[in-house]
Amino acid sequence: MCDTCGCQLHDHHHHDAKVVEVNRSLLEANQKQAQSNRGHIEQMGALAINLISSPGSGKTTLLERTIEALKDTVRIGVIEGDIETERDADRIRAKGVPAVQLTTGGACHLDAPMVHGGLHVLEHFAKGGGYDLIFIENVGNLVCPATFDLGEHRRVVLLSTPEGSDKPAKYPATFRSADLVLLTKTDLLPYFDFSVEEAVKEAQMLKPGLEILSLSATTGEGFEQWIDYLKNMLKK
Amino acid sequence: MHELSLAQNLLDQLLDLAKEHHAVRINRVSVTLGPFSGVVRDSFEFGFNALKQSLEIARGAELELETPDPVYLCLDCGKVSVIPFSLPSDRLELAMTSPFPKKCPWCCLNRLSPKGGTELILNQVEME
Repeated sequence: MCDTCGCQLHDHHHHDAKVVEVNRSLLEANQKQAQSNRGHIEQMGALAINLISSPGSGKTTLLERTIEALKDTVRIGVIEGDIETERDADRIRAKGVPAVQLTTGGACHLDAPMVHGGLHVLEHFAKGGGYDLIFIENVGNLVCPATFDLGEHRRVVLLSTPEGSDKPAKYPATFRSADLVLLTKTDLLPYFDFSVEEAVKEAQMLKPGLEILSLSATTGEGFEQWIDYLKNMLKK
Repeated sequence: MHELSLAQNLLDQLLDLAKEHHAVRINRVSVTLGPFSGVVRDSFEFGFNALKQSLEIARGAELELETPDPVYLCLDCGKVSVIPFSLPSDRLELAMTSPFPKKCPWCCLNRLSPKGGTELILNQVEME
């Protein structure tokens, strides 16, 4: 019996049901906004980097050292993503560059609409000066941020030595989506059971040809290569 | 945890489609989750079924999920193979003892690189 009108016809209310072929990505809305963010960033004359890693891999410290090395020659702006607090943005502002803090209030990743809002605030802080390079520091998480394009030009994934060299194999989606992997905290290599060889092998198995650099923000070892990478990116 | 936001995206898309086609009810939704999309099937299903309750038009919508088997490129012999994540249940015992990582069925080496499989697609919607 039909539930809607109580008649005896089995499912006559389905007669006008139609099947619509959609074949569109579930991420369509995010992708559109990401594309528009990319355009917005380019219009500002800048390129953007999306920094992804687990919490505590050294994203903010990397940014502090990078700003110190480049701030006289490159105009940098930073969008900080965290679940709570303005701490990271405060650390960046202390280095003398504009920083916008996005607090997601629980969400485990940034998405393109959030970054869109952040870009407008960042633009306001530029005071007519503009930017060459915008860093977007994602929420510390090696899983969820991988799915969301923010409108970046390069995606950089950090892996710190205390986390273990098995991480690329265990979090394939994130490492596969990377344009560059940075092995950080290499000054701690003598104290941890971290095999650079394994990490490199596993990451390049997921994405053949993936570029990988090692560095320590504390001792400065390998940092020059990272700075060169950024300079080359900005030259193109 | 991002499965919930993806399920919300799907419901937003469904509402737009229903409006576009002047539908009053969504009966069936077919979605493909790629094997390397990083989306957990059960969490996505749970999120969708929880969120649809708040929408009159989608409350009765049945979610059909397609999860294709993963495809790998062997970096040693160059052959492409489909290697399912889990073995059929009658071979579960074997699965538990089989050594990780998986091997290329052609050359038996284990440098397998994931191929494609990151898609998240809304295929089809049945509405009335």
